[in-house]
Amino acid sequence: MEGLSIKVKIMKQKKNELKIEIEGESHTLCNVVQKTLLEDNRVDFAGYHIPHPLTASPQLYVRTKGKSKPDTVLKAAVKQIKKDTASFRKELAIASKKIS
Amino acid sequence: MKVQILDKNDVSVRLLIEGSNAAFMNALRRIIISEVPTMAVDDVVIIENSSALQDEFLAHRIGLMPLKTDLDTYNLPENCACKSEFGCNLCRASLILDVEAENHTITTYSGDFKSENPSITPVSEKIPLAKLAPSQKIRLEAYARLGKGKEHARWQPVSMCAYKYMPIITVNTKLCDLCGDCIKMCPRNILVKKGEKLEVRNTTDCTICQDCVDACQKTPKAIEVKWDENTFIFRLESTGALTPKRIVSEALNILDEKLTDLQSQLKGK
Repeated sequence: MEGLSIKVKIMKQKKNELKIEIEGESHTLCNVVQKTLLEDNRVDFAGYHIPHPLTASPQLYVRTKGKSKPDTVLKAAVKQIKKDTASFRKELAIASKKIS
Repeated sequence: MKVQILDKNDVSVRLLIEGSNAAFMNALRRIIISEVPTMAVDDVVIIENSSALQDEFLAHRIGLMPLKTDLDTYNLPENCACKSEFGCNLCRASLILDVEAENHTITTYSGDFKSENPSITPVSEKIPLAKLAPSQKIRLEAYARLGKGKEHARWQPVSMCAYKYMPIITVNTKLCDLCGDCIKMCPRNILVKKGEKLEVRNTTDCTICQDCVDACQKTPKAIEVKWDENTFIFRLESTGALTPKRIVSEALNILDEKLTDLQSQLKGK
């Protein structure tokens, strides 16, 4: 598929804080990113909220501990979910081979 | 992560997923319901309709008819190179309905549609569309296109998609006196008395309703129902538009795409 379906806008960026608006997304992506961020021990706080249910622009917020940069942590979380989808795909292929 | 297929048939599948979390399962579920594209009729050109049903009513019924979908050939109209309002043969398929009741009352079924592409046909041939009295006629052309469930439910590839935690049922044999109260209570009949023991079978059927725990008169309770928060039973039932396996793999692709988009946008900042 061509073109990007989402648009990221930075709302706040500090040493330990990052708040982004993801236009065109919803709970689908934000919830899984937030939960993955919380599993990282460099993360002090992670959350998201949707200011209005009719506008598809959730705001994702990350606060890190110590010297960790929030954007590195966020990128790591995205990578982690990608790993999960890859392993799900692999496992599903193995499982469907077994059954057929 | 570990994935196992518990059971499957042409239209539905049940997966056992170990080592995941609810957020990931929910992302997958939401994508399947609202973002995996399928084919459905979007535009109907009515040439003649002398049936008892109004044009709009008939068009609505036709729109809700699930169509077998070919995702490899067709493009979503917004991604199609033609950029045309009316679509091209890579983003639109036309189906023709031409029926007339001559001497008797007849019922028009989805199977009466003639498709320009033999791979885009109604999933079932037995969906009634309208009843025609003698000499009533319907002639129309329906244009199907790919769409997403978030736009309208007719583009949803599944009739049901849900997940639940894996139940863990433990019976304390020292406390249990085999009174049978819990066996009677269980709506899924998963508790069975076998010899001098209470046995649990088909654990995956358990809905974690805790009725068996409430029914147990012992203190402390002789039966305990818990769940594993990292193991899921993921169930989906396709409308027949796509195979269940294709739906799941398509959903994984879409999630991956979203993540890639996010990644590339973060890089630029």
